[in-house]
Amino acid sequence: MSVQAMGSASGKDSFLARLPGAIPGLALIVITLVIIKGYPGMDIFGFKGIEAWMKTAVLFGTKGWLVQVTHLNYILLGILAGMLYRNVIFSGTIPAVLSDGFKLARLMIKTGIIMLGSLYTVQAIVQLGSMAIFLIGGFVVMTIVMVLWLGKVMGLDRSMTGVLANALSICGVSAAVATSPAVEAKGAQVAYAIATILGFGILTMFISPFIGHALGLTDLQYGAWVGTGILNSGQVLAACLAFNPNVAPGTAVSVGEIWNIMRVISIPFAVFAVTVWYWAGQTSGTSAQKKSLGTLLVEKFPVFVLGFMAMVLLTSFGAFGDAGIKGGPPASATIKMLRDVMQWVFGFGLVGLGAYIDIKELARAGGTPLKIGLLVGVTKYVLALVVVFLIKDYLVAI
Amino acid sequence: MATNEKVGSETMGSADAKSKMTLFKDDRSEDWGAIIVSILIVAVIVVINMK
Repeated sequence: MSVQAMGSASGKDSFLARLPGAIPGLALIVITLVIIKGYPGMDIFGFKGIEAWMKTAVLFGTKGWLVQVTHLNYILLGILAGMLYRNVIFSGTIPAVLSDGFKLARLMIKTGIIMLGSLYTVQAIVQLGSMAIFLIGGFVVMTIVMVLWLGKVMGLDRSMTGVLANALSICGVSAAVATSPAVEAKGAQVAYAIATILGFGILTMFISPFIGHALGLTDLQYGAWVGTGILNSGQVLAACLAFNPNVAPGTAVSVGEIWNIMRVISIPFAVFAVTVWYWAGQTSGTSAQKKSLGTLLVEKFPVFVLGFMAMVLLTSFGAFGDAGIKGGPPASATIKMLRDVMQWVFGFGLVGLGAYIDIKELARAGGTPLKIGLLVGVTKYVLALVVVFLIKDYLVAI
Repeated sequence: MATNEKVGSETMGSADAKSKMTLFKDDRSEDWGAIIVSILIVAVIVVINMK
């Protein structure tokens, strides 16, 4: 791939040309993360980071109350810091001098997901992936059918129904934007759908770790649940790391991300299905886009998943030494360092994710789309938990 | 989708090219960018841990 492909056609708008301008925002995120997470050996006038302070602080007569009771960790604190920057400190808009740095957040999340490939062997992927395909496939189909039916019953516009069906079934924002041209959705309709799913996702992102701990879920059960029940990739990642911040084989994030990747891969198929539904019910001919499944697969396939698979293969062939899989030899120094770096990469991405949560934008949600969104979102979230409980003996640990 | 309608503000939900949550022109370019960044990070870690 050429460097030009990483930016727009005009040189000054290319990624590399904009990169120096990202340094101030990038520095702010790194400083924020250092203050929250600290680093090994950090001791600035006795301060070792907010997370370290929370573990020793005595509140209500209990040492470490903040960690034991609220389960706050650097992931949730990072997201909250990002939200604080946008909604309070910068009054709703990240300043221009900082905004390009914050726009690297999604790049970091995708980079971290690729590096997560070092947690798995091919065998583990096949075991977990087959279970994930079953759950994800079932829930994607169920959600689309439920939204299309509710849209018809509640008299929602067909374009809005189509966007909402994919936004609620697969991957939130990406799916809503990918579906919109095919079902002739207006910008405002996409904004409604996105506001609805983001609002629901933010709520589930914060409450899921508490529910998981309260119900005594294992990492495997929790990862399978939030990977199925939460709509947005970043939010699945955040919810998993908030439950267990460790990045290692068998942890919540290693399970949840397999579920997430299976769902992201299904975007082209779901866009195709909803497009076919939309055009089957259209009587008037228009010039909106009709595309074959083959075209959509080529256009919408998330290429970063190939990077993840390449990491799995390299790990399976021992390119980084022992992977530290359960029952095997301990992880090599390379693998340990990879996992430490991943925590920072995800931390960076999730501070940025928090800074892109605009409370005012969530207020755009309303009316019938919100009713359908909440109805379907809650059903999916609760049903996923019930299903995970029902099949817990069949879930395969890695 | 109508191009003259602004979608979202400058948040995750934005479909407006100037205010998207990325420095890349589209998702595909960002995917390639993530692959390149991860290759760089992994290469540095492997070199550091070489005996």
